Amino acid sequence: MPDWEKVVGEQLTGLALDAADEREVHAELAAHLEETYEALLREGMTESDAIHRALSLAGDWNDLQRKIQSARTRKDTMTNRITQFWLPGFLTFALSMSLLELVQKFFPQPFMLRLDHPSVLLFYVPWLLTLPLAGALGAYLSKRAGASPPMALFSSLFPVLPLAAIFLIAIPVGLVISHTLSHSIVAAAFLTLGIEWVAVPGAVLLAGGFLMRVFFSRRLVSRRIVGG
Amino acid sequence: MIGTGIKRGTAELAVLSVLEHGSLHGYEMARRIEQQTKGALRFTLAALYPMLYRMERHGWIRGAWETSNSGRRRRCYRLTAVGKKMLPPLRQEWSELFRALRQLKKASHA
Repeated sequence: MPDWEKVVGEQLTGLALDAADEREVHAELAAHLEETYEALLREGMTESDAIHRALSLAGDWNDLQRKIQSARTRKDTMTNRITQFWLPGFLTFALSMSLLELVQKFFPQPFMLRLDHPSVLLFYVPWLLTLPLAGALGAYLSKRAGASPPMALFSSLFPVLPLAAIFLIAIPVGLVISHTLSHSIVAAAFLTLGIEWVAVPGAVLLAGGFLMRVFFSRRLVSRRIVGG
Repeated sequence: MIGTGIKRGTAELAVLSVLEHGSLHGYEMARRIEQQTKGALRFTLAALYPMLYRMERHGWIRGAWETSNSGRRRRCYRLTAVGKKMLPPLRQEWSELFRALRQLKKASHA
């Protein structure tokens, strides 16, 4: 018979509860799995089928962990939002802005990508290369706080969200107040700024967030294999 | 598709109802609910335990470790006074909802 407490412990490593509380949760879930396993054996199922069937009862362990975390801690929805989105988001924002400062200090010349005249795209390539790190940090902190995968990815995108919001407001306002003849110039300027500061950095941050997600899911799969 | 709010409400009522007759541990509770609802309500771990912990936090049920005759330790839940008080109005609410749905069905057939 499997050591069910060990199995549960290996799956729920991200529970941020105090040690006694965590032991209690592990013991309780293990007892449930043990009862299920024994009932399945009594029904005539083979040992390995009974183990797999009992484990399938848990469904998604990540989801279980997130729900237990939320139910066992006295956090309300607002507190969850702060720890799962706002805090990781602000830290990601602070890190990406600090990296930009450093890059602009040591590599002040941006890379210029000439499109149709007069449009030119400027990219701080060293900054873009470091951004996956910031995105991964956002996703990691958010995930650790029990966030769902979309929420974790959203946290990794946080540094470009304020700029995206500014563009969303500024583009229509700019187009309305600009002279009729200059509409195309204003639109082109906003488009290039949007690509330079929102679309490309956003994609790079998201790539970092995705990598962290892949890392988390691989770790989960390998733990499942080890746990049988 | 039954919405999350309705599912949660029915699941909570089911738990309070089975605990009305005495204390039970999680596995036994899930088994009885499944049997008594003829399989209509089934719980995964992710559905049952977070709900039990939340209900315990609200003070509707209380869990305590108990050792059975076979020496096994199980966390058994019992209704608190608050949980007992919640049960009749909750049942009333649900029976009103089902009555309203039945009337709606009758009206659509008429």
